Amino acid sequence: MNHSTEQLDPVRAPSPDQPDGTRSGVHWAASIMPIVERFGLLILLVAVVVFFAVYPATSQIFPTMANFKNIAANEAVLIVVALAVLVPMVAHRFDLSAGAVVALASIAAAKATTSMELPLAVGVVVGIGVGLVVGLVNGALIAYCRANSLVITLGMSTLLIGAGAYWSGYQTLVGVPQSLTSFGSGFWLNVPKSVWLVVCVALGVSYLLGMTVYGRRLLSIGSNESAANLVGMPVQRTVMTAFAVSGGLAGLAGVLLLARTGSAASGVGTGYLLPALAAIFLGSTTIRPGRFTVAGTLTGVFFVAVSINGLTLAGTEDWVEPVFNGGAVIVAVAISSLLTHRRLTGSPRQYKC
Amino acid sequence: MAGPETGAAASGLEFQGVSKSFPGTRALADISFAVRPSEFHALVGGNGSGKSTLIKILAGVYQGDPGGVIRLGDTTSQSDHVTPRWSRAAGIRFVHQDLGLFPQLSVTENVLAGTSYPRRRGGIDWGMAHRTVQGLLDSLGIEVAARSFVRDLRPADQTLIAVARCLSDRQTSSIHLLVLDEPTTRLPADEVHGLLERLRSYSRGGQSILYVSHRLDEVLEYADTITVLRDGRHIDTRSASEHDRSTIVEAIAGQAQAHLSRRVNKSVPGAPVLSVEGLTGGPLRDVSLSVDAGEVVAIAGLVGSGRTSLMRNIYGAVKPAAGTVVVNGHPLSPGNVAEALDRGISFVPEDRARDGAFLDLGLRENLSATTVRRYRRLGWFRRGQETGDASRDVVTYRIRTPGTITPMVKLSGGNQQKAVIARAMRTSPSVLLLDEPTQGVDVGARSDIYAQIESAVDAGSGVLLATSDLDELLHLADRVVVLTAGKISDQAAGDEITRTWIYENVYNAGDGK
Repeated sequence: MNHSTEQLDPVRAPSPDQPDGTRSGVHWAASIMPIVERFGLLILLVAVVVFFAVYPATSQIFPTMANFKNIAANEAVLIVVALAVLVPMVAHRFDLSAGAVVALASIAAAKATTSMELPLAVGVVVGIGVGLVVGLVNGALIAYCRANSLVITLGMSTLLIGAGAYWSGYQTLVGVPQSLTSFGSGFWLNVPKSVWLVVCVALGVSYLLGMTVYGRRLLSIGSNESAANLVGMPVQRTVMTAFAVSGGLAGLAGVLLLARTGSAASGVGTGYLLPALAAIFLGSTTIRPGRFTVAGTLTGVFFVAVSINGLTLAGTEDWVEPVFNGGAVIVAVAISSLLTHRRLTGSPRQYKC
Repeated sequence: MAGPETGAAASGLEFQGVSKSFPGTRALADISFAVRPSEFHALVGGNGSGKSTLIKILAGVYQGDPGGVIRLGDTTSQSDHVTPRWSRAAGIRFVHQDLGLFPQLSVTENVLAGTSYPRRRGGIDWGMAHRTVQGLLDSLGIEVAARSFVRDLRPADQTLIAVARCLSDRQTSSIHLLVLDEPTTRLPADEVHGLLERLRSYSRGGQSILYVSHRLDEVLEYADTITVLRDGRHIDTRSASEHDRSTIVEAIAGQAQAHLSRRVNKSVPGAPVLSVEGLTGGPLRDVSLSVDAGEVVAIAGLVGSGRTSLMRNIYGAVKPAAGTVVVNGHPLSPGNVAEALDRGISFVPEDRARDGAFLDLGLRENLSATTVRRYRRLGWFRRGQETGDASRDVVTYRIRTPGTITPMVKLSGGNQQKAVIARAMRTSPSVLLLDEPTQGVDVGARSDIYAQIESAVDAGSGVLLATSDLDELLHLADRVVVLTAGKISDQAAGDEITRTWIYENVYNAGDGK
């Protein structure tokens, strides 16, 4: 993710003259590549949907409305986690603690509404609040101590898993109020309520990243932190806030998980992290290649989710899912890095893999 | 005087008709001269004279135009066919200004970096490695222990370690020429002589040396022969004994050329927009200066003199250890860029790719980076207004671009620079800090940038300009302040500023005179 320190200036570092278009066969590729690049993932998503819709083992169930609703509702938690991680990622920082925050927030909300017998609204606030506090601690350490985000949030993630285990007493907490679980499984206008929540979060993050001064600052920091400092942007505060937003959203995802499953246990959240990263990086190869966007991330989530759903319906075994998720994140990061490098140097031939 | 045995083969280097053209400019025109065997040969010239370009052709970094020839002993190459591999095989070794050492590693590891270490039973034979390197150091008369760490050495010894690394394979291959590119620039004056003494003894021992330098006194004292380049042309190659300070300054500076006439001075005396008092920090030592409204003050100085530090300290990008900065009567709190901007300072950094441009963002986003807050209304970002402002800047500052949302990286260097300067103007600054504003910019963009600067001055801004380009300095500056090793060493104003004055006071300061 770090910026290349190579000479980027064609005037200052003149290269030997290289006449354009000497290699034939480059022309058609040059005109079609940008389109493939922009819509590649969407095309792939459609292809996957079509494949599972006609593939004999899945064609009975896969292309039904019920199944699509099921996918959307199941992936609600993942989407919120992905959008949470997306916010600091725009400033080129990783939040690897989001998965652990999901678990801890669901435990907190479960504890508040069961053993502490607090009202549901308070439980929701407690869940989000736990995430917010974790995010603020992450952000303060990363922004003001200039610590590496990967290591800080990885450490935080491990710490939170242990804390969650202690807090839940190694138990799976159950017995949350019915009003919460009915939200998790309920419908409004024939659409799962959790999907409505996801739509709200997606719109909110879109607004934050695309239509506010804050979003512009995040984008600028991600593009060139040194320049962002020199144009007077409050880099540290912006970075810290990004982690706070990420933590808060991950907390919300935890509450949503509790509403969906009716139970909370330490360790359940970490499974969301890798697919979330896969979705973000897959998303950064599409629509606006090289940038981390909400639309791209949503496309990425559905690509991952639809593929997994189809594979599950086709009767594949459990090991397929982690292999797919891991493979997706590796391929996505590799492509995304190549795209970024090419955007910055204008040349696809300088890769040093 | 018999120098240490360096084992160098005694053969010279010869350039014949070497030229180099870049799009729009000719950096070198028909250069021919020879470095004789076992000669300490100095190559001098101002910025833009073509010294570095010539060295880069010799190293195979740039390709010369067809037609030129480089001959080394009995090896000959067309100047457009020189590659780094050829250069090395022909026996040329380079010590660059940035020595490329690993400070936290030992001398042995530095000297042997990139070669094969002696081995024993599959591992590195460290005893053997240290002995080999110590033998090399001793034979070169470098009084340093092979086991010591490079970071603990004096700067002059570090330079010698870089030299030793170049000469480390002299047992197996003949080193015909050692090229040193401004090795003394970052050395304290008292260490310069020791280094040059060593180098001269190598040349007495048979090693041909081509020595690139800015510092005329040391060249006059130590070199056998001096070659002067100016504006990409070979001026002359003469024995150092035929030169004195005035002849060499004249050769470097040339006659006053009417490149660009001097601007009309529009400053308003007695109304300083910027006053700096006792600024200390990094290389800076107690720097005080002021800039009047409508005045252009140039900071002249060699690399490492503290020009960039001065700008960054004033702007608040670096927090000074001591000193005050006052803008329009308001003292600034140190190390606060946002406040400096609010009070009316703008800064154009030297390294555009690293510090100036958001290369993957659009031109529009780049232009509004200092003023994003203006576009906030009721929590929304006013994109339309932002696009309108960007379109206006594109016209005003003649930025050539397909559109306002074109990514910055797609623009030419000159147009990127115009955009960075246009951004600095967005805040209508009363003080404009410009660090090498036309570096790596073509001629057309350069005149557009001068127009940008002049329109700011006409509007009453004070400009502090750091530039290595003498023509630019002569064209723009109302006053020149010379910075030497972090201190202001001299000043000149108006007609006192001449090429000769600059050379006398910039390139010779720091020689212990």
